[in-house]
Order: sequence, then C-alpha cells, then structure tokens
Amino acid sequence: MVIIEYSELEMLIVRIREISGFDFSGYAKPSLLRSTSRYLTKNAMNLKELFLYIEQGGRAVYDLIQELTVNYSEMFRDPDYFKKVRTEVFTYLDSYPALRFWVAGCASGEEAFSMAILLKEAGLQGKSLIYATDLSNKVLTAAREGVFTLGNIRTFSENYLQAAGTGSLSDYYYVAYNRAVIAPELRKNIIFSLHDLTGDGVFNEFQFISCRNVMIYFSLELRQKVFRLLYDSLSMLGFLCLGKRETLRYSGIEQHFKIIDSELNIYQKIK
Amino acid sequence: MKEQSDEPLSLVLLGGSSGSFTIFEEILKMLKNPVSCALVFIIHRRKDSTAVLPEIFRNKTNIAMKEPIHLEPVLPNHIYFGYPDYHLLIGPDGRFYYDDSEKDFFSRPSIDATFVSAALSGIPVKAAMLFSGSSADGAFGLKLIAQKGFPTYVQDPAYADSPRMPAEAVRQYDKHHVLLEKGFYKMIREVLY
Repeated sequence: MVIIEYSELEMLIVRIREISGFDFSGYAKPSLLRSTSRYLTKNAMNLKELFLYIEQGGRAVYDLIQELTVNYSEMFRDPDYFKKVRTEVFTYLDSYPALRFWVAGCASGEEAFSMAILLKEAGLQGKSLIYATDLSNKVLTAAREGVFTLGNIRTFSENYLQAAGTGSLSDYYYVAYNRAVIAPELRKNIIFSLHDLTGDGVFNEFQFISCRNVMIYFSLELRQKVFRLLYDSLSMLGFLCLGKRETLRYSGIEQHFKIIDSELNIYQKIK
Repeated sequence: MKEQSDEPLSLVLLGGSSGSFTIFEEILKMLKNPVSCALVFIIHRRKDSTAVLPEIFRNKTNIAMKEPIHLEPVLPNHIYFGYPDYHLLIGPDGRFYYDDSEKDFFSRPSIDATFVSAALSGIPVKAAMLFSGSSADGAFGLKLIAQKGFPTYVQDPAYADSPRMPAEAVRQYDKHHVLLEKGFYKMIREVLY
C-alpha cells in the first residue's frame, strides 16, 4: 500500500485546483487521504509520478477527480431504511398529485433503482419522477446502463428481501451475457444527470431527498453549505434522508426539521 | 464545539476478528479506573450486525463506551467501537470520520483503515494491538504505527484461536512486542495503565 502524509495531500489538492479548477479543500481529509492512497496503490504509482501524470491536465486530472470522488453503494443498502420509507414516508406522500424525488450523489444508480422499485410496489410510480445526480460522468454512464455483476445482484437480492420487498428482485432485471441489466421499465422514471453538490445550486423542488453517505466526505464547513442547498431544494414538509452514521448535528439546519426516525436519519422539513 | 478536555489525547487501538471477542471482553473487565487515553476497538462484524457493542459489553467496565457519530471528537477516558458497514477513521483534527469506501480484506470496518488513519493523524498512539483473526487485515496498519515510533503488540500466534491475523503482522514486521500466553492480560494491563 502506498502511503502519503497530510502535507503531501494538501500539495496535491492545490495542484489539482490549479490544473482543473476542482477544489477538494472542503472534502473530509481522512477519507481523501485514504482514497488517494488507494488510487496510488491500484495504479502502482508513487506521489511524484502522480504529480507528473496530472501535469498533462485534461483527461488525466479528470480521471483522478472521478476516482477520488467515487462512492460505492448497494441496492437496498440498510434494508430497515427502505422499510421505514415505505411505511412512514410513502403513506404521507400518497396524497400528493405528483412527486419529485432527488437521489443526491447517486453513484452507479443503486439507490435510484431501489427507490424506483419501492415506488412501483407502493403504487406511486405513475406520478413520481426520480432525479439521480452525481458529479462523476463515469458513474452516471454506468448508472444509465444499469448493469451489475451477478455477485452484486446476490447481495442486492438479500437486501431486497430484508427490506420486505413484495416480489423478487429478479422481477426488475434480466440477465444477459452473465450480467444483470435493470429493466428499462424501471428506468423510465429516472433522470440521471450531472450535478456537483459542492458547486451547483438548486435545480428543482422536491418532496423527498435522499443524500445517504455523501456528507461523510465533506468537511464541517462544506457540509453546512451542502445542507443549505438540500434545505432550499426541499418543499415544505418534504423529507430528507441521510446515511446511517450521519445526522443533522453540526449541519446548521437542524432547527428546521422534525425527526421521523433518529436511527435511520429520516427528517421532515417543518419550517 | 468545545468538547475537548484539557488532557492531551493519546490513542490505544485494538484490532481483532474471530477469536478476539472474549479477549476484548476480558480487557474491558480490567478497565475499572479512568484511563488517560481513548481506546478504539475494531472488531470485524457483518454489515447487518444489529448488536450494539456498548450494550453487549455494558457492566463490564465503568468507562463510557460508544459507537461514535461522524465528526465526534475523540476523547480521553472513552471506549469506542467501529460501527458495522463503515470504516472508522481518525482525523488529524482529533475527530472520528466514517468512510464507506471499498472493503479491505472483505471487511468494513477494516482494522487497517483505522490503524493507518491513526498512524497518519499525528495523534500519539500509546499502544496498538492486534489479536486473533482469520484474515491478514491489520498487519499493514500495525507496521505503519510501529514505523512511526509507537509501541505495537501482537498476540502470540501460537496461542491465538485464529492465528492468521497475528502471524501476518509478525511476518510483515518482526519488531512488534509479542504478547505471550503467560501473563497475557497482566501485560496488557501494564500497557493501559
């Protein structure tokens, strides 16, 4: 494993900003240090070589940014959360004529597909639109394709059953060339698009925002800025869902929300 | 956010997997009096493990135990446990950071993730220990801590329920202190107090 120190990471952040304009300074440094170290290890590179590599600009630095910001997910990750959304949140949203969902930081689409299935099984699919955004074009391309390995699908299926899915996950994908492909029918309500939570602004108003395991990558200051964006993007009485280890503590917007579930971090905007 | 006490922070890191649970229990039992350091236990757990370790271990020790939340300050005289399905990192600002990047050795939390982050944090490590387990996780992180000049300890593989983890640590770096079967807990106690 290739190890780098925080001082070296700071130099790298400066250089990336100079070359590309992308600013990592508000990212959680411990995670960034780990992902940089993993990137170097995977590419059998030392830091000096990385600096030389990104001097080429363009593609090279862009690739690095994508690799360092990528997050990993599973369909129906934290099955309890999906159960709770179905019982507590959907019953509430049922009365709305039209619904907009935002999956912020959607990676390869796992969370968006899970949400689409949940909506379908709750009979809400017809009036719902899911916006799934990420800052990485690479993962968005993967998300639009909706292709997963069979190994992935096994894990997803277990999660789905634990989340009390009403059918079988295989109802929602077909297998081709040893890969699972998410059914087009499921994808038609999902709009995948490029959006950087740290730089871009409000683009719509939502009744439901899921931003799970994204905030953990941002520093305290940047989190507050992103939380503000999520707050501004939520309609009154809309829901905000965070990852299991994230809370509204230190967010700067906690006073505007009612806690629906403190374990699963589901909140409702009340003012 | 003035949650820090005046006491300077130092870390004691304990990692283990299969065969380490009872060792951790015994260590907690000996922690009756306040300790000057923060103790961080990383034990491999399934992602759907709903067991809350501070609950399971309650009554074993008088010291406050918790699964920290993201960005919580690391405090002396506290015992912390990694939460399932996230790596637990320690930042140079003395706070905990959760991280959900890829698993190391099929594990999240991984021992290496925590150990490496602690080694690079600049926070003094009073001791790092690696116990029984059936994967190679932890060996790299323990070596890094040792190379930073901090004391490191490995359970004698010959007496570990699952020798792979401590054996790999010794294979990667042969200058760790080996905790022999004889006087095992006495030795640990002396390190902690």
